[in-house]
Amino acid sequence: MNSAISLENVRKTLGSREVLKGISFTVDQGDIFGYLGPNGAGKTTSIRVILGLLEASSGTASILGEDVSQDEARKKVGFVLEADGLYDNMTAEENLEYYFRIYGVPEPRGRIERVLDSVGLGDRAKDKAGTYSKGMRQRLALARAMAHSPEVLILDEPTAGVDPGGQIEIRQLLLNIAHEEGKTIFFSSHNLDEVERICNRIALIDRGEIKLYGELEKLQREMGKGEVIIDTSEAIAESLFAELKSMPHLGLREKKERTLVFIPQEGVEVSDIVSLLSGRGVKIEGAKRKEASLEEMYTAILKEVEPS
Amino acid sequence: MRDIGPVINASIRNNLRSRNLVIIFVGLGVMIVTALALIYCLFEIGPAVEEGGLNMRSDLELYLGLIMYLCCLFGVGVSINVFTVPSMTKEKSRGNIESLLATPLKAKGIWLAKSLAVFLPGLVMGEAFAAIALVAINYIYIVPEIGFLITPPIALSSFLMVPIMYLCLSLLAHLIGLTGAPQSGNVVVQVFLPAMVVLAINLSVQTGLGITSWSFTLINLGIAAVAGIVVALLFPRLTKERMVLSCRR
Repeated sequence: MNSAISLENVRKTLGSREVLKGISFTVDQGDIFGYLGPNGAGKTTSIRVILGLLEASSGTASILGEDVSQDEARKKVGFVLEADGLYDNMTAEENLEYYFRIYGVPEPRGRIERVLDSVGLGDRAKDKAGTYSKGMRQRLALARAMAHSPEVLILDEPTAGVDPGGQIEIRQLLLNIAHEEGKTIFFSSHNLDEVERICNRIALIDRGEIKLYGELEKLQREMGKGEVIIDTSEAIAESLFAELKSMPHLGLREKKERTLVFIPQEGVEVSDIVSLLSGRGVKIEGAKRKEASLEEMYTAILKEVEPS
Repeated sequence: MRDIGPVINASIRNNLRSRNLVIIFVGLGVMIVTALALIYCLFEIGPAVEEGGLNMRSDLELYLGLIMYLCCLFGVGVSINVFTVPSMTKEKSRGNIESLLATPLKAKGIWLAKSLAVFLPGLVMGEAFAAIALVAINYIYIVPEIGFLITPPIALSSFLMVPIMYLCLSLLAHLIGLTGAPQSGNVVVQVFLPAMVVLAINLSVQTGLGITSWSFTLINLGIAAVAGIVVALLFPRLTKERMVLSCRR
């Protein structure tokens, strides 16, 4: 898989403050990549480096193999920044046409209509952006980001300040863009639920350092400590509990009425435990490997780095 | 240059759609030009034509020259004064500039486009005012007496040097405003306009160096050159990084 965005040991100093302390991560093509972190962690600075707005003090950043300082890299990227950058005095059509012309999109008229329809603003095309709600503005900014059919979209908190209905619309739009058009989406957000719902990979930055990075499901499994929870229809007998306890590979930790909690050794699957219990006549109602929620992961990581 | 065409077009359109600013822009321009024309026509040109005499031609050249020059100076100056700070402040705080910088456009292209978008409407208005005043006053007062009067040095100062001066000034104001606080850029413009008026009047009235002389044209060129040199000296500051960091809200 080729990388859409790649940062290698990027450092950025602004004044006397080192805002990015050697961050590295890769966003693969087709990813929906969530970039998390508290305020002041370095998210926006990272995005500015990726977009070539700030020059890295050291390290390298590239988009689809092109150094971010090159115009070629910027032609392959669409973006929505924290401030949407729309012109209130211009209509939605005019806002798009402006960027279409900057990117040299040929015959922009037909494409403007299509893009506006795709974000659900086709019927408001002639209205000035200044009359739009926050959610509509973000959708228009997304439409603008897609002006030149970029392969990568970089979005800085695209749902910030948008009401829940608007957030759902934008989320759906992002999923459509990623799945139907095959675009790579990199977006920063404070909304953990949103990231958990749509992202397949994440990075968590705090105080200029990447604290967590990887495939979301894998991270959730790892941070869920590998716990396997089995719900039974009846409380199991003490003798069976003792027998299970004596099998170290199962890692039985506790019994709560009709629930058994295991932390099995590597290689032991949930299905192995279920088969063993069924073989002992235990009726099983449910079995799952516990995964940490993104919120739990986020809190745990940030707690670790909290200064004493 | 071709790349920045859409930015110039959109910026001019956006500036001219700001209704309040356009009212101020056109209103101030018309008021100033009308007042100037009336004052000179009623109190200077009219009586000079009526009195006749040896100095009539040189007096008429001076007054007509002053009207033309000040029309251009105020016409272009008002545009730069009215549009520079509001548009730059708004565009920086609303993310327009940062968004443009994230496109393949170069920082210097955006700077040039924004400077021209403020300068061009003023240029059109200033030149139009000056041309209308020149033709109208000539045909009302002067043509019946001595024919059409136009003095090459002041015409050159008005129609070429003033625009060059203000273009340099607009570039300078935008360079300072885009890489720092927009208000800092406007200080240059706000100081310049009254200073030029005082200079023009002083030179024409109190010294032997008249406003209708080639020397005055050269002074204008010198001022433009100074502004141009300052732009050249500050040009290395014009980086995307500086522009982005100065956009912090």
